[in-house]
Order: sequence, then C-alpha cells, then structure tokens
Amino acid sequence: MSEFVRVAALSEIPDPGKNVYEVDDRFVIVIHAGGQVYCLDDVCTHDDGPLGEGDLEGYEIECPRHGAKFDIRTGKPTLMPATQPTQVHEAKIEGDSIFVRLVD
Amino acid sequence: MSVQAAPTVDQWNAEAFNSYVKQLGEPEWLVDLRQNAFEAFEEMGWPTRKEEEWMRTDIRGFNLKKFDPPKLDEVVDAASLPSGVLAEGVDIGGQVISLNGRTGRSTVSEELEAKGVIFGDFATVLAEHGDLVKKYLFQGEFDPNFDKFSALHAAFFSGGAFLYVPRNVVVEQPLHVLNLIGDNGVDLAHTLIVLEEGAQATVLTESASLDDDQPGFHCGAIEVVVGDRANLRFVNLQNWGHKVWHFGQQKGSVGRDGNLFWTLGALGSRLSKVNQHVALDGPGAHCEVNGVLFTEGKQHLSYHTQQYHRAPNCTSNFLYKAALQDHSRTVWRGMIKVAPGAQKTDGYQRIDNLLLTEHSRADSIPGLEIEADDVRCTHGATTGRVDEEQIFYAMARGFTRKEAMRMIVIGFFQQVFDRITLESVREALGHAIARRVREYE
Ligand code: FES
Repeated sequence: MSEFVRVAALSEIPDPGKNVYEVDDRFVIVIHAGGQVYCLDDVCTHDDGPLGEGDLEGYEIECPRHGAKFDIRTGKPTLMPATQPTQVHEAKIEGDSIFVRLVD
Repeated sequence: MSVQAAPTVDQWNAEAFNSYVKQLGEPEWLVDLRQNAFEAFEEMGWPTRKEEEWMRTDIRGFNLKKFDPPKLDEVVDAASLPSGVLAEGVDIGGQVISLNGRTGRSTVSEELEAKGVIFGDFATVLAEHGDLVKKYLFQGEFDPNFDKFSALHAAFFSGGAFLYVPRNVVVEQPLHVLNLIGDNGVDLAHTLIVLEEGAQATVLTESASLDDDQPGFHCGAIEVVVGDRANLRFVNLQNWGHKVWHFGQQKGSVGRDGNLFWTLGALGSRLSKVNQHVALDGPGAHCEVNGVLFTEGKQHLSYHTQQYHRAPNCTSNFLYKAALQDHSRTVWRGMIKVAPGAQKTDGYQRIDNLLLTEHSRADSIPGLEIEADDVRCTHGATTGRVDEEQIFYAMARGFTRKEAMRMIVIGFFQQVFDRITLESVREALGHAIARRVREYE
C-alpha cells in the first residue's frame, strides 16, 4: 500500500466542496463535507463519466453524464445507471492539510 | 481542476519546429506538409473526455512538456541495440532498427534491390527516392488533421521505414522494422508500405523499450497501401514498456482483388490510443485482421478499428481477443462502414474479452454504418471471466493453478493463433503472453 501524500491545504476546498487531484498517476476526487474529507476515483463506473465534475449533495455525488449517484463515504452507487462501486481511498485531515493514501 | 486545451509547449513551439525542420534538410514539398500540420497542431486542443472518441480514455496524466522532440544529432550505437522478438530465427530480407527515431541499422538484401524493391529507413529512402515518397506519403487514409496527436506526428515525425515493392514482384523473405525507445525517449516514426499491383510481401513491425520502467512517448503512424491483386502479410507487435504513452494512427487500403492479412499484438504501454482503419477500395478486396490484446497492472489500451467498404464484393474479417489482469482496462470500438454502392459486402467483426481479475474492465462497442442494401455484416462482443471449474479440472489432473491459468489463457487466444500463418509470430506472441500470466487466488 502506498504512503499518505499531501494533496492540498484544507482551506483550498470549502465545506462542502470538492476538487480533482492527480496522485501517483491517478486522478481522484477529494471531497470536503461535514467537517471530514473523502477521496474517490474520478471515474464513474457506468461509462467512465467525469464524476469529479458532478454535483455534490450531502454525501452523494452525481455523475454529469447520465445521472448516476455514488455515496462518497463508501463509493457505492446509490442511483442507476451505475451498479458497481467506484474505488474509495483513505483521506485525512492533519493540521491544515489534506492527506490521501491510495488503496490500490 | 479541469484540463483545457494546452497552450503550445515550449519544446514543441514554432521556434523549435523551425529549427527541427531545418536540421532535417528535407525537400520543400515535405517542409510544406509539415508546416501545415504544425499549424493544425497549434490550433487544436488536446482531446478531452467530452469527445465521443476519447470518452473512455483519460489522458489528463499525459504531459507533452515532459518530452523533447527527437534529437537529430544523436548517434545510435547499432551494436548495443536489441534485435526484437519477431525476427528471431527468421531468414529476413531487410531490417530497419531505430532508437528514439534515429536509425541504428538499415539493411536490405542485394537480391531484393536487384528486383527493384526499395526498403530502408525513412530518411535515406526520402533522399534517394523522393518522388516515390511524395507520391504516397499522407495520400492514403492517414489524416494529419484527425486530432492534435496526428498533427503533431505529421509535423515532427522522423524515423520509421519505407517499403516499396514494384509491380508483380514477390518478396519471399520477411522484412523487419523495430522501433525502440530509450529513457524518457520519444518515437515519432512513420512507416509507409506500398505494394504495387500484383506484388507480394511480408512485413514484421514491432516496438519495444530499452528499459521497461522508463517513461516514453510514441506518436506514430503506419500507412499501408496494397495495390490491385497485391498481397501483404503485415504484423505489428506493440511491446512498449509500461510507462510509455502510445498514440498511433494505423491506416491501410486495399485495391481490387488485393489481400491484406494483418496481425496485431498489443501487450505494452501505459496507455494506448490507436486508430486502426482499413479501407477496401477496389472490388474483390479482402482484409483479415487478427488482434491479440493482453494487459496487466494499470495499463489502458484503447483500440478503435474501422473496416470501410468503399467498393462492392469486398470482404473484411476482424477478430480480436483481449485478456486482462490486475486493474487494467481495454476499450475497443469497432465500426463496419459500408459506402453507398458497396453491394455484396461481407463484413465481420468480433472481440472476445477474458477478465482474469475482479478489477479489470473491458468495454467493447461494435458498430455498423451501412449505406448499401445488399450486404452481410455481422458483429459481436463477449466478455467473460475465467471458469473456476476448468481450473479445478486441470488442478485435479496435477497442474498447478498457475499452469492451469496459463493453459486457459493460451486456449482462449488459440482461435486467433490458428489464423496466424507465420510460425515465428505465433511463437513470439505465445511466449510473450505466457510470461505475463500470473497467479491469482
Ligand atoms: S457515465 Fe456516469 S452515469 Fe453514465
């Protein structure tokens, strides 16, 4: 498993808010919501939609392409047409920074 | 963060282009072609996931800034270069080996030369047979304006090979082209193959990295022109290291009653986006494509194929097999296009995917676009996982899980292997795949 890497200052992402970062050759969405940070692959499992460009509503993010929704805490799809989870990664706040560790 | 059309990158800007072209010292007509392509390159944005063509292929991680155009003054020590796998044990009639677009070796047998065959590295053939190159370069299916990568290629290409087989000449010995990339190297090779009416030849092309673990950038093109009644066996093995970005336009056309047999192996690269198009231009033209894709790690291979029937009574037959390990991905989009008047077309395309791990993913999108009314076009795509029962069966007979897996994978590819008539190619592909099959629980 890879190491935690710093991706951003906490102040870079409002709560609620999100941003896409490149970590280890991989694009991930980092979400700041409810005082916590979450991280998922920037890929909609329905048809590779740019999930990071989607709207955030509570703990759900909506794919702009066909409207699938995912739970940002688990990566699980909560609305069709996606049926497979998108990968979630570890994310944490330390001091005023956000750190992410890719799970695989 | 969203990625916009990139501004021109320093190493690839007008100034760099001009000094590059000056160093090449090419005839004016080619300088003009390059200039037009460079202007197109500057105008176009990088493809984004909003475009249908790139929807499933994310190239945000690609950064042209990390690469320089090929160094024209770099001297290549031919003796230190590997010789590739396709020509092993094969009696070849000529060979071109390049590193980062610089030619290391270029040979052709006297016997072939005596028959009027022209074969060699692009620059030498251009210097000696400029008119012939002018007649064919970018005249076929390759379109420098297709996207930013095609334009980049047409503006900056160097290296590659040219083969010309005159009318009714039969070339028995295969010809071999190997493009190599070194550390952080760039390869912009252009390979042009022309068979005049009634000619016959076999061409083996392959690519590889000197170090599997070093980044590289390939932005290349292959143009194949098969004349009336001509016959070409063409093999293309993509074996780049796992950190190479591979963008390719591979275009062929076949004349009346001509035959093109094309074997494609795609094993390497970090990300590949290849457009492989064949146009059937004369009545009775035939094309058969056999493709083998094998991926591992986080590789992403995207192949867009097109078989374009522009004349009546042509047949095309595209068969692909892809096996995927780890978190790798393949995208395959196939199109059978039939122009108005191309009656009695017989077009076939199929891809079978074998997912060896839970996290691998294969997207296959076959398509038809038919504007004639008396045709037969069939297409299909399947995706499946390894059958645990088959593994159990093999293990019950004393095989290890790994051996069983290897047998299943080789068995899966057998249908394509059976269609490959060149033994050396079959063996090279078989070995390359067997080496990569790992054990999964
Ligand atoms: S690609 Fe996301 S919903 Fe279809």
